[in-house]
Amino acid sequence: MASTRDIRRRIKSVKNTRQITKAMELVAASKMKKAQAAALAGRPYAELMAKMLGAIADRVEEAQHPFLAKREIRTRGIILITSDKGLCGPLNSNVLKVVTDIKTPAKYAVIGRKGTQFIARTHRDLLADFPANDRTSFADIKIVAEFMVKQFIEGVVDTVEVIWPRFRNTLVQAPTIMTLLPLTSVKDIIADLHSDAGLAVTNATKSADNPMLFEPDAASVLEAILPLYINRELFQHAIDAKASEHSARMVAMKTAKDNATKLLGELTLEYNKARQAGITQEILEIAAAQFAA
Amino acid sequence: MALTLEIVTPESRVYSDTIDTVVIPTTSGEIGILPGHIPLLTQVQDGELRVTKGTVVSFLAVGGGFAQVFSNKVSIIAERAITEDKIDEKAVENAMQRAEQAIKDAKDMDPAEFEHLQSMVRFSGTQLALKRRRR
Repeated sequence: MASTRDIRRRIKSVKNTRQITKAMELVAASKMKKAQAAALAGRPYAELMAKMLGAIADRVEEAQHPFLAKREIRTRGIILITSDKGLCGPLNSNVLKVVTDIKTPAKYAVIGRKGTQFIARTHRDLLADFPANDRTSFADIKIVAEFMVKQFIEGVVDTVEVIWPRFRNTLVQAPTIMTLLPLTSVKDIIADLHSDAGLAVTNATKSADNPMLFEPDAASVLEAILPLYINRELFQHAIDAKASEHSARMVAMKTAKDNATKLLGELTLEYNKARQAGITQEILEIAAAQFAA
Repeated sequence: MALTLEIVTPESRVYSDTIDTVVIPTTSGEIGILPGHIPLLTQVQDGELRVTKGTVVSFLAVGGGFAQVFSNKVSIIAERAITEDKIDEKAVENAMQRAEQAIKDAKDMDPAEFEHLQSMVRFSGTQLALKRRRR
């Protein structure tokens, strides 16, 4: 049986671990609340954009925009969203599993250090990597989106897809893959924006009866609004991934804390047993010595 | 009859109020919107937005986006938007200097990044101009 001093030392270290994990759990919980609020704050934007696209879609025939053109897929372009830091349970490894399953040729742009390390280690084709700040700003994500769109236009990649841990609830984050480019149709975009805005998917409000003025004209407005849609879409996924990261970390830290508490109980019991055994032993020795005298 | 103005960015809803008139900077010049304007959809440029409510004129700096006017409701989606009182002159000045420096240092910079920096400078410039006019 381990000596009481060894057990005492272990109890101390487990107590420390519990304290740290508890603090991290609380931090993650408050960050998670913020991230979820940020995800909701994007809703009015999605709703308005859907309305505007709806107004255009009724008037412009499916435009000859490069984003809408179908082309042969040789190389897939993938934006991988992971976290910068670990200690968030299986979050990153689940996402990276999806990457492992991709067998067709693909090139990657990565947000977050964990993903960058993985792509570099497995010798995949890394186009660019970006940091994953705690506060995801639209300007940061815009750079990523525009970079990838440029690769798409130049023909370096033939699709733009996003892989990110989708936030379902605090306990469940599902790694998801979604295609941003090429776009299928303006109608699908509107439906997607509606679901992001938390609205029921309805047929776009018919406003074709009212004349609407476009400045400079409908086609060029559509052309300008599509890149904005791509940026918004990626931004939405990035803040979604943030919410996932923080909730995954919170759950992982809660489990670690609970385990530490359990272990602490077991160790204390063992310590007390060892202490009692020690005392009994001593009494026995004294008694034996008395008898012998 | 009054107009309602709503400005949203992907990050938050910046402005929402009932107003009398608004002047929007667009790619084809400034457009003034009065109540009863016909439905309009236009592209917004980096610049200042002038909102008149009663006798009070207030200004907002907006950057890149779209404006829609529909039955006395003006909706603007912008990449960036900030109300005058929220502009932090020092921070903006610093950001502007950093961006300008980055532009100077850049030799073979990615055009997209260059564009981004320039729009940063433009937006900062607008914010500063707004803030300083009052004095």
